[in-house]
Amino acid sequence: MDFHFMVQSLPQLISVVPVTLYISVIAIIIGFIFAALIAIIREKNIKILSPICAFVVSFVRGTPIIVQLYVVYYGLPQFLYFLENSGVNVRPNSLPQIFIAIFAYSINASANLSESIRSAYHSVDHNQYLAALSVGMKPSTGIRRIVIPQLVPNLIPNFSNFFLDLIKDTALVYNIGIVEIMGKSNIIASFGFKYLETYLDALFLYLVICFFFGKILQITESVVRKRVFNKKSRPSRGYEPIRERKVKVEGE
Amino acid sequence: MALLTVSKVEKSFNQNKVLKKIDFQISKGEVIVIIGPSGSGKTTFISSLNFLNKADSGKMTFKDKQINLASPKKDDVLWVRRHIAMVFQNYNLFKNKTAVENITEGLIYGRGLSKEAAFKKAVQELKKVGLEEKKDYYPSQLSGGQKQRIGIARATALQPDIILFDEPTSALDPELVGTVVRDMDKLAQQGQTMIIVTHLMSFARKVATKVLFFDDGQILESGSPDQIFEHPQNKRTQAFLSAIAEDR
Ligand SMILES: Nc1ncnc2c1ncn2[C@@H]1O[C@H](COP(=O)(O)OP(=O)(O)O)[C@@H](O)[C@H]1O
Ligand SMILES: [Mg+2]
Repeated sequence: MDFHFMVQSLPQLISVVPVTLYISVIAIIIGFIFAALIAIIREKNIKILSPICAFVVSFVRGTPIIVQLYVVYYGLPQFLYFLENSGVNVRPNSLPQIFIAIFAYSINASANLSESIRSAYHSVDHNQYLAALSVGMKPSTGIRRIVIPQLVPNLIPNFSNFFLDLIKDTALVYNIGIVEIMGKSNIIASFGFKYLETYLDALFLYLVICFFFGKILQITESVVRKRVFNKKSRPSRGYEPIRERKVKVEGE
Repeated sequence: MALLTVSKVEKSFNQNKVLKKIDFQISKGEVIVIIGPSGSGKTTFISSLNFLNKADSGKMTFKDKQINLASPKKDDVLWVRRHIAMVFQNYNLFKNKTAVENITEGLIYGRGLSKEAAFKKAVQELKKVGLEEKKDYYPSQLSGGQKQRIGIARATALQPDIILFDEPTSALDPELVGTVVRDMDKLAQQGQTMIIVTHLMSFARKVATKVLFFDDGQILESGSPDQIFEHPQNKRTQAFLSAIAEDR
């Protein structure tokens, strides 16, 4: 082990951390917007669109991200050439790799997060919505004021898990020539034949990044949960007796 | 003149006929109590009156407006819900709102009151049920009895023509039933029109202007509390009442 090398090459790796973060953050933002749309379409069971979304989601979730990345890498330019030939000025030659990566990871995030949003939505007691209707709220108002605030705290843990997975999965984009943490590691490692040292550096960086975002989102969850329900942490999983009573007479 | 009339209300879940051509009407000031075994369709029926459950067929006349229960217009549904409030078995207080906000939500977003007016009104309603000092508590910090009394305050604040109560005391610990019953009793005294599903027979006798016995999706018998409790005609009514009496 060459610790000196490890310390020396770490700054070089840190210099490409922004690339990893850039892909991850942009992809999760775009992905989240589309995920929300997909979740709405599927929950409202909108004709034609809903089954299409269901198909795409299960397709994306059922295939490896590396394959999706390659399909976008080879497919997107072809699609753009096709548009170019049909008279749309899209300039496919100038398509940057990073755009391709963001595109692929956004699709992946949309599919996965749409499922997280739906499951958080289902975690809210349907009676809460009915109660909102019963006091004369419009359905959209009931969703906005009662259902969405209650689903958010339940969404954050799944969102966090997925985001950390996404960050780790960006380690694959060196395959299409992007120099992020993994890409840079490969370069440094093969240059000095110090493979173990370099990859330990990379490991360390991913660990720090994931720990940082994991912690931030965990704190966010507990702050949000407290603001919504005025409770400290997640609902307890402790014993709660289920009270079933048949008939009781007043004054007993 | 009836305030609300529904006729031939039908509802099935899959092949299971839960409501079988029910005819029902209520006039202003009446307190109608619905009794009957569980699973007989009581909840399904009263929640079809404010469209939380959509009936398969049937007609409604409410305040002289005719509405098709199976295919109501959106605006009509909203209009009915803004005039018929509901108190639920499991309270269903908004978990993300404080006690006072539970009441203001409907006033602001259902009635269109300003925030200030809604807040003032909500505090008044909380005072009436003696829970003013709990106004900033969240539902998770309140007892069942307190929750239900706020549930009742949430409904009365809206000054609805009718309040529907679906077994409002069934989820409560026995010692808490009394406080909730007193609130409902007070409302009855004030002439509030109410439809109450309950298993509290002595309460039913006291407040009801009319009692309906529900069984298997039908109204098997109806009459004054005296008629139903003292001289039930139908065998099923008799059997139900004596089963309840034993349970005491
Ligand atoms: N959402 C539903 N889906 C399927 N069956 C239901 C649903 N709601 C009620 N039922 C059935 O309808 C019948 C009447 O239910 P309900 O109106 O809740 O009775 P009650 O309030 O008198 O106990 C029961 O057999 C119940 O299982
Ligand atoms: Mg019921």
